[in-house]
Amino acid sequence: MKTLEIKNLHVEVEGKEILKGVDLTVNENEVHALMGPNGNGKSTLLAAIMGNPKYIVTEGSITYDGKNILEMPVNERSVAGLFLAMQYPQEIPGVTNSDFLRAAMNVRREQPISLFKFIKEMESTIKDLEMKEDLAHRFLNEGFSGGEKKRNEIVQMEMLKPTLSMLDEIDSGLDVDALRIVADALNKMKNETNMSMIVVSHYERFYQLIKPQFTHVLVNGKIVVEGGEELAEKIDQEGYDWIYQEYNVQPASEAQNNVRTVSTGIGTCAVRTAAESAGKK
Amino acid sequence: MEQIHVNMDVLLPAGYSEYVIDTQRDIELTFFAKEDSDVYIRIINAKKINIRTFAESNTNVAYLFWNAAKSEIHVDESHEVLANAHVTVAYGECNGAATMRNTFVALRQEGASALVTSASLVDCKKNYRMQVVNYAPHTYGDMKNYSVVLKTGELMIDAIGKVVKGARRSQSHQTSRALSFEKGVHATILPELLIDENDVNASHAMSIGRVDDDQLYYLMSRGLSVKQCTSLISTGYLMPITDTLNNEVLKEKLQEEMERKLNELC
Repeated sequence: MKTLEIKNLHVEVEGKEILKGVDLTVNENEVHALMGPNGNGKSTLLAAIMGNPKYIVTEGSITYDGKNILEMPVNERSVAGLFLAMQYPQEIPGVTNSDFLRAAMNVRREQPISLFKFIKEMESTIKDLEMKEDLAHRFLNEGFSGGEKKRNEIVQMEMLKPTLSMLDEIDSGLDVDALRIVADALNKMKNETNMSMIVVSHYERFYQLIKPQFTHVLVNGKIVVEGGEELAEKIDQEGYDWIYQEYNVQPASEAQNNVRTVSTGIGTCAVRTAAESAGKK
Repeated sequence: MEQIHVNMDVLLPAGYSEYVIDTQRDIELTFFAKEDSDVYIRIINAKKINIRTFAESNTNVAYLFWNAAKSEIHVDESHEVLANAHVTVAYGECNGAATMRNTFVALRQEGASALVTSASLVDCKKNYRMQVVNYAPHTYGDMKNYSVVLKTGELMIDAIGKVVKGARRSQSHQTSRALSFEKGVHATILPELLIDENDVNASHAMSIGRVDDDQLYYLMSRGLSVKQCTSLISTGYLMPITDTLNNEVLKEKLQEEMERKLNELC
């Protein structure tokens, strides 16, 4: 069984400590929701696991399947089974989706995939994600809409078949239909391959679709509360205020400024809050 | 495919033809085009190469020079383009040996046009001086240079578009682009327009840049090594230059040769 184990992880970005001792264990076929107000370390944690060179691990350990992944360059972590669907996927002009994906698939295989097999797989994945048929020939993410970029991350995930996927706000920029398409693809992958997931999202709607068994809340670089699916639900309804009070923590932005007190939960669904306040009027 | 070992004057046949330059000595070649011709010239070995070409009126001629030399070459070229003739001169420079090239294109008579293009994968010294001169009215000159400069590469392009007085209604354009993957790489591009006539249309565009770290990280996060990323991005950057060749055979030649070279990067 492949397990991700993070112990006492401290991470710095440009000399500033963002993660201040994170412990997390993710077993095969588990879905973990990672929540917390903006700017408190969720994306940093995922980037550090993937190995973004801008994120410096100063203390602690990350192992996957018993291997110390901190010693591996980014590409080796990917081959080991890790996948990060990024919040802001890069545009790479000149490189087509198909050339890129074929190269990425071939690094995990002893024999290069045949063109015929590749095309078949690509076509069926494009169909799963309900993307335009010309996706394969388009340059990687260039000129894609926000939603297309996010769906293209899942196309890559389906083709590369990782064993642990990290999804960094994959639901932002997706309309209701696209959200369901993506969730269906994720659930299918999970059922077929035992893939585990760490999911960062601010929205209960997405969590309802992919059903995380565990919820972790990151505040100011530490996981302060852990629970099951009900925790995500509670945060969606009540925001983070009660966590700050109950666990005596302050979110990163507030901790630094130390000026204003929190009046509304930073991480609550902005649309819902707006709708509620409009309703009150 | 004709092997060239000594000085020669070549009357180009209509259609496609191939030549290989393979000599230990200096060499002088002249190509005459009286009909439409597509010419593939592969340079295997030479010291100093002196090439002159003539495109007769109303001809359409394309030259693809693929440099496969293993040691430094010096090339001096002069291309004469007569009335209503069109000449394309394309260079594929992906070998690992230095090139010093001086290209001179004369748009000699009314209606003459020329396109000079280069695709370079630079891991040593590549030095090009290109000059396209509009001598007559209604002439059209264009240069397109795309280069990927690797760590040990040193690129210098001096691209000069010149319009003499009286060459009215002429056009002189140029685009030069260079891409690198590391800091501290040497690439110099000097775009120059020397215009002595008022009634012209001229432009130049130039860019030198480094691949974004975030782009590299993104590709690597899908399992590609730095070398594979370099190969993929370079292919995407240089391949569009093959579209400047209208002849399918020449275009395929350039694509194949470049693909092979770029795959060697992995």
